[in-house]
Amino acid sequence: MNIAITLSDNKGLDSTLSSVFARCPFYMLIDPETKIFTIEENPAQNASGGAGIKAAQWMIDKEVSGVISGSVGPKAHDVLSSAKIPAFKSKGESIEETLKAYLGKELESFFEPNVDAHSGIQE
Amino acid sequence: MIITVASGKGGTGKTTIATNLAWTLAQKRESEQESPIWLIDCDVEAPNAALFIHPIFEIEKKVERQLPIIQQDLCTGCGVCVDVCEYNALAIARGKTLFFKDLCHACGSCVLNCPENAIQESPEMIGLLQQGNRGALKFAQGILEIGFSSPTPIIRDLKKWIIPDKPQHESTYILDASPGTACPVVESLRDADFALLVTEPTPFGLHDLKLVAELIFKEFQIPSGIVINKSGRGDEIIEQFASEMKIPILMRVPLSRDIAEAYARGDLLVDAFPQYWDQFIDLYKKISEITGERQPKQ
Repeated sequence: MNIAITLSDNKGLDSTLSSVFARCPFYMLIDPETKIFTIEENPAQNASGGAGIKAAQWMIDKEVSGVISGSVGPKAHDVLSSAKIPAFKSKGESIEETLKAYLGKELESFFEPNVDAHSGIQE
Repeated sequence: MIITVASGKGGTGKTTIATNLAWTLAQKRESEQESPIWLIDCDVEAPNAALFIHPIFEIEKKVERQLPIIQQDLCTGCGVCVDVCEYNALAIARGKTLFFKDLCHACGSCVLNCPENAIQESPEMIGLLQQGNRGALKFAQGILEIGFSSPTPIIRDLKKWIIPDKPQHESTYILDASPGTACPVVESLRDADFALLVTEPTPFGLHDLKLVAELIFKEFQIPSGIVINKSGRGDEIIEQFASEMKIPILMRVPLSRDIAEAYARGDLLVDAFPQYWDQFIDLYKKISEITGERQPKQ
């Protein structure tokens, strides 16, 4: 299953990690094992309000199993946690580094993980 | 005639000008047995005209909005409501609809579009309207409920409550707007016949005067005039702008400690300094001339 990584530009695997969740310009949807990915524009980036909700809904619709971002706001947090999609704080400078940390279960979770969240990581 | 007092910048003296103009006219019209003056405080986030007018309120009215209530047992999680919500106030997670009240504009789209009729509406109080008088002056204000962030619906309801659809020619409504140039100010200017722009002769005063003048020019095309408050030093920057934009300067109130002290006591300028009485009568006369309305009797 894909996870989503927030990006501040679109340069494939060399893209820059974004420190924000809902207002970043791009999301990488990537299978952490096979590294097969697509990069899509964030439809919520310029929302006048409720960007966190819209971006989190997008994650739900894309059926991601996790989100890696520099930060996650409270409303996005509410929606993601209702959907039991775990969110993790990105680590290091590159996609490669943060993915490695994700696979090694070294990423810090943004909220108290529950059982479902853990099972999501193990998939 | 509807006169909206706006400024762009806060603290330039909108309320000072609006209250004194309204009070002066009300007294004058009473003595001449003419139709009353209404002062409507449209700064519903921080209404303060009542502090100077000391009105007796006689009637109150609640402002409510219709909030969606989702019946989870009827909801199939289809997501239609999420798609139609312009404000991203709804989300669907694991078949459950999440509602974010703070983002809801109570537009009703989700209620209308839900294929299962699973969304009902429930009223929520978002503000209060009050009307009353002080002597010959009729007064009304709106108060946004604490914790709410949308003043515009309160202003819309306040105006609808007080001003008839086709106001009588001789009725005068003076609207004290909020600072800025955003939705509440636009709502306060809607249907106005004249915009009275109160500014101060500072770069900030000029900067925001430009913004509000631009708003009026682009959106309303109604005549306007400037009052320079705290006048006396730096008036040239306002004068230059006024002449470029062909907006007349109708009145000046000097920067004075005495005036500031009277204001701080909650006194009306015309009560503390009766020499301003004629200046406010004159201000209204100039506005009437510009709008082509009938002039007050001499």
